[in-house]
Amino acid sequence: MRAPRLRDQPEVSVVVPVVERHGDLKQLYAEFAAELARLGRRAEFIFVVDEHLKSALPVLRELQQRAEQEVVIVLLGGPFGESAALTVGLDRARGTRLVTLASYFQVEPLGLGPALAALDAGADLVAGRRYPRTDSPFNRLQSRLFHSLVRRVTGTGFHDLSCGFKVMTPQVADELNLYGSMHRFIPLLAHTQGFAVREIEVPQRREDRGTRYHGAGAYLGRLLDVLTVFFLTRFTRRPLRFFGLLGTGMLALGFLLALMVAAEKILFATSLSDRALLLLAVLLMVLGVQTLSLGLVGEILIFTHARNVREYHVAEVIRSPMELAANVADTDALRAS
Amino acid sequence: MDLSIIVPLYNEEESVDTLYEEVRAAADGLGREWELLLVDDGSSDATPAKLRQLCARDRRVTAVRFRRNYGQTAALQAGFDHARGRVVVTLDGDLQNDPRDFGLLLAALDEGEGYDVVCGWRRDRKDRMLSRKVPSWAANWLIGTLTGTSIHDNGCTLKAYRAEVVKRARLYAEMHRFLAPMMSLSGCRWKEVVVNHRARRFGRSKYGISRIWKVFLDLLTVKMLLGFTTRPAKWFAVLGVPFLAGTLLALAASAWVHLKGWPGSRYPLVFPAITILCALAWVHLTLVGLFSELVVKVGDFKAAEALLASPVSGGGHESPAAARPA
Repeated sequence: MRAPRLRDQPEVSVVVPVVERHGDLKQLYAEFAAELARLGRRAEFIFVVDEHLKSALPVLRELQQRAEQEVVIVLLGGPFGESAALTVGLDRARGTRLVTLASYFQVEPLGLGPALAALDAGADLVAGRRYPRTDSPFNRLQSRLFHSLVRRVTGTGFHDLSCGFKVMTPQVADELNLYGSMHRFIPLLAHTQGFAVREIEVPQRREDRGTRYHGAGAYLGRLLDVLTVFFLTRFTRRPLRFFGLLGTGMLALGFLLALMVAAEKILFATSLSDRALLLLAVLLMVLGVQTLSLGLVGEILIFTHARNVREYHVAEVIRSPMELAANVADTDALRAS
Repeated sequence: MDLSIIVPLYNEEESVDTLYEEVRAAADGLGREWELLLVDDGSSDATPAKLRQLCARDRRVTAVRFRRNYGQTAALQAGFDHARGRVVVTLDGDLQNDPRDFGLLLAALDEGEGYDVVCGWRRDRKDRMLSRKVPSWAANWLIGTLTGTSIHDNGCTLKAYRAEVVKRARLYAEMHRFLAPMMSLSGCRWKEVVVNHRARRFGRSKYGISRIWKVFLDLLTVKMLLGFTTRPAKWFAVLGVPFLAGTLLALAASAWVHLKGWPGSRYPLVFPAITILCALAWVHLTLVGLFSELVVKVGDFKAAEALLASPVSGGGHESPAAARPA
């Protein structure tokens, strides 16, 4: 549920999830608040703090007392992570322009102006792309590899999904269903929902330069995320198209191999018991049928549980002004009676 | 309201105004209260602006705009969702259908005991042979064979439905092509009426030969769903029969080798291995079947029971031959 809009509501809500490392939050606030003031936009700042970063609270309290713009602090009851923090923060936001921001110095505040302008020009979500980049070649390489994989797999054109700087309308925030590590794919999810998504270039901060090395587990996790997003963006409503293709592929391959083995047995009298290929053929067929059966369960699940989920998203319903007037008259008549 | 006319539009800026004029002339002549629902399927041309003008001009016109292109099925579903009339007529946005056929469709709907759906049949179709007519024949044959309801022209958008029936339908993928046969499967009464078809005046066709594959896949899915959702465990058990047979055969082979001994130096492990694999698959399928029973049981089973809709009238249908107007 979105918080009710009051008369003195701010225009821009800046949501900062404080869930991992964080920079000097006071400094972060000061720079972005100054830029917003320069742009003439009334703003509120919402800091959502994960439980294990409670140490940031005193600084934020102090900021809350002294800040010119409104500052809201939300403390999560556990280590819930960035998706949860963003969801909570965006739900609390009262502005008509919602900005998300990493809790450390990632981009220059001067990206705010163009991003808000792009939103005013009709975009539903503006995703920042750190460019020109100032960080290490190793960082850039791993980011490049990851994004080219994502682009290929999803058929979209985003360059910097891990940039925390995004500007969106409340409608987008309401329809994003963030969980797990889906916060990394916000522009993609919005795109799938049919929103107009734009990517704009924002200069990267020098503080964002440090090389980040991740363990093997992190890379594996990322790969799984890509697979999940691939599946979710393309096959949510028709799981059988995905599992069916995979399953029938394996089934067909297994069948072909089995035919080959059989042909060799008949033509050249090769003993079946010596053929490991036969084992592979059977394995493939078994896997194929299991995959297919999962697809069927998926279809049943969608069919029996999500029948009312619509495939389309309506941008607007245009009615004639006269029709609207008539409807209002009807409700007035109802109220009077 | 008596009549809702639904028209899906995708990049039809040249046709929209003519379409409106023709629909208005035809609908006004029927003497019924009507509305026109224009569904803009994410057009990138001036269609939205044209729609705005029309809505401002005539209060009986409503436009639903999609955020992006979702395809004709979704557009029709949106139309059904927003329709307020007791009868729903669907119509193509490219002016190839003739709104003057409305009267024919509506009269057929009320004929005799009444029908739930009346399908237009473009017997004299003004389209290219190879790229349009041949794929259409193939698709109609496929749909007729798989559903057991042979409608001549499933691809014709000009159809009339009883709103209470069609509003319960949930279309997805490419399902609008075989909505009528599916309705017939769930017991609705249907009828065919020969309608006028005109050559394309503006723009170009947006559908090609690739749709056959999609129709086939979707049809298969829906067919399976119809069977699966009532007794999934049984269906998965059937799917598992080959693997049960494989298990038994491989087991027999293993036993035979074990009892008779093996001439070679190495004892062949391939038969026990196949036994294990097949047994695994069989157990997996049986368990998945049970699992699906659970899914269906806790699901919205009432809705699943009737895939599309249950009939309002008695059931059965008029044979296509008899349905031809004199």
